[in-house]
Amino acid sequence: MEFLGNTWNAFAAIFTVTPGWMTFGGWVAAGLTICLFSFLYKDNPFFKVAEHLYLGAGMGWLFQVYLFQTWKPKVFLPLMEGQYSVLIPALLGLSLVTQFFPRISWVSRYGFTFIMGYGSGLVIPLTISTDFLKQIGGTIAPFMVSEINSGNIISLLNGTFVAFGFICVLFYFFFSVEHKGAVKKASNIGIYFLMLYFGAAFGNTVMGRFSLLYGRFDDLYKYSAPEYFYATHVVLGLLVAYFILDKLVLSRRGGGQEAH
Amino acid sequence: MIFIKKHIPLFICFFVGVLTLGSYYVPNATSENYIEMMNKWENIVAGFAFLLGLMSLFYSHFHKISRKAPGWGYSLFVYVGFLLVVIPAIVSNGQPMKGPDMTSLGWIYRFVFTSLSGTMFAVLAFYIVSTAYRAFRIKSPQAFVLFAAAFMVILGRVPLGQMMWDGVLGWTGYQVTDVIEWLMSVPVVAGRRGIMIGIAIGGIVTALKIIFGIERQYMGKD
Repeated sequence: MEFLGNTWNAFAAIFTVTPGWMTFGGWVAAGLTICLFSFLYKDNPFFKVAEHLYLGAGMGWLFQVYLFQTWKPKVFLPLMEGQYSVLIPALLGLSLVTQFFPRISWVSRYGFTFIMGYGSGLVIPLTISTDFLKQIGGTIAPFMVSEINSGNIISLLNGTFVAFGFICVLFYFFFSVEHKGAVKKASNIGIYFLMLYFGAAFGNTVMGRFSLLYGRFDDLYKYSAPEYFYATHVVLGLLVAYFILDKLVLSRRGGGQEAH
Repeated sequence: MIFIKKHIPLFICFFVGVLTLGSYYVPNATSENYIEMMNKWENIVAGFAFLLGLMSLFYSHFHKISRKAPGWGYSLFVYVGFLLVVIPAIVSNGQPMKGPDMTSLGWIYRFVFTSLSGTMFAVLAFYIVSTAYRAFRIKSPQAFVLFAAAFMVILGRVPLGQMMWDGVLGWTGYQVTDVIEWLMSVPVVAGRRGIMIGIAIGGIVTALKIIFGIERQYMGKD
C-alpha cells in the first residue's frame, strides 16, 4: 500500500507546473494556434493533427467535468453513504449504453424517455414564461398608463415602432390566412424587420469571431517574446519551411511524372 | 414484450413529463423537492448520455485505425488529446488551480484547450467574411436592409467605423454607437420577438406531442 502511495506521489510530481512548464506552454500554444491557422493556406497534416487533438481534448474536458461534477459527487459519493436512490438515474443512464448492442438496444428507451419526458415537462412552463409572455409583456409595457404619464415621447415612439414591427413579423409567420391585400403588406414589412434582426445577428457573430481572432493574435504576440524563446517565430518559420519543401517536392514529382 | 419495449417507456415519458409540468404550477415543498430531485437525476442521466457519445466517437476512430482507413494515423491523436486532458485532471482532482498555483489541468486548459478552441472558432471569422462577400449580393431592398444592419454592427464597433461616421455624419451630433444601440433595442427587438414567439409555440407543441406519445421518433424503430 505504501509502495502504491509512493508511486502515485512520484507520478503526480511529474505533473507539477514549474516555470519551465510555463515556457513550454507558450511553445505548445503557439504551435497549436499556428497549426490550426495553417488551414487558411491549405489543408495539411499539421492542421489535421491539431484538429483531431482538439476533438480528443474537448471530449476529455467534458469527461473530466462529468467525472468531477456529476459522477463522483452525485453518484459515487451518495452510494458510498448508502443513498441507493441514485441507482435509479444511474441505471437509466447506463441503459443508454445498450445502444451499442442491437439485440438489447430497446433498453436504452428507458433512459431516453426519461430525458425527453423531463425535458418536455420543464420546457413548456419555462418557454411560456420567458419566450412567450415576457415578449408580449415587453411589447405592451411602453403603452402602460404609468409609462404614458411619465411623458417620455421617445420611449412611446420606440415602443410603437417595436409593436408595429412585431405584429408585422407575426403576420409573416401566420399561414392560416392567404397572404394577400393588407396581410401581404404587413407580412412584407415584417420581412424588413426580420432582415434587420438577421443582419444584426450576423454582425454580432462576426464581431464575436473577430474578438477571438484578436485574442489568438495577442497570444501569438506574447509568445514571440524572448522569455518564450521566440516560440511564435520559430514555429511559424518551421511551418513555412515545410510548405516550401512540400511545394518543391510536389513540383519535382509533378515534373518527373510529366517527363515520363 | 411490446409492453416492456414500448408501453412502459412511453408511460415513463408521460408520467415524468406531466409531473414535471404540474410541479411548476403547484408551488409547494413536495413539488419543489421533486423538481430538485429530478434535476439531479437528469444531470446523472445526461452524464451517461455523454458517455454514449464518447464511446461512439472512440468506436468510430478505433474502427478507422483497425481498418487502416485513409488518414487513420490522425485518429490516434483523438485518444492522445483525450488522455492529455484526463490524466492531468485525475492527478489534479479536477481542480485547475490549487490556491494561487496552477495545476497540470489548469496548464492544459490554458495552453492546449484554450488555444485549440479559440483558434478553431477564430478561423471561422475568415470563412464568415468570405461567405458574406458571396452571399451579400444586394439584389433586393430586403437584402440591402440585411447588409446595412450587418455593416452598421460590424463597422460601428471598430475605431475605423467610428472615424468614418465622424467624418461623414458627425455633423448630426449622434455617435455611431447611439445608432447601433437604437438599432439593437428597437427594430431588431421587433424581429427577434416574432421569431422567439414562433420558436416558443413550436417548442411547446413539440413538447406536448412528446409527453402524449404522438412524437416518438427519438425511440427509434421497433
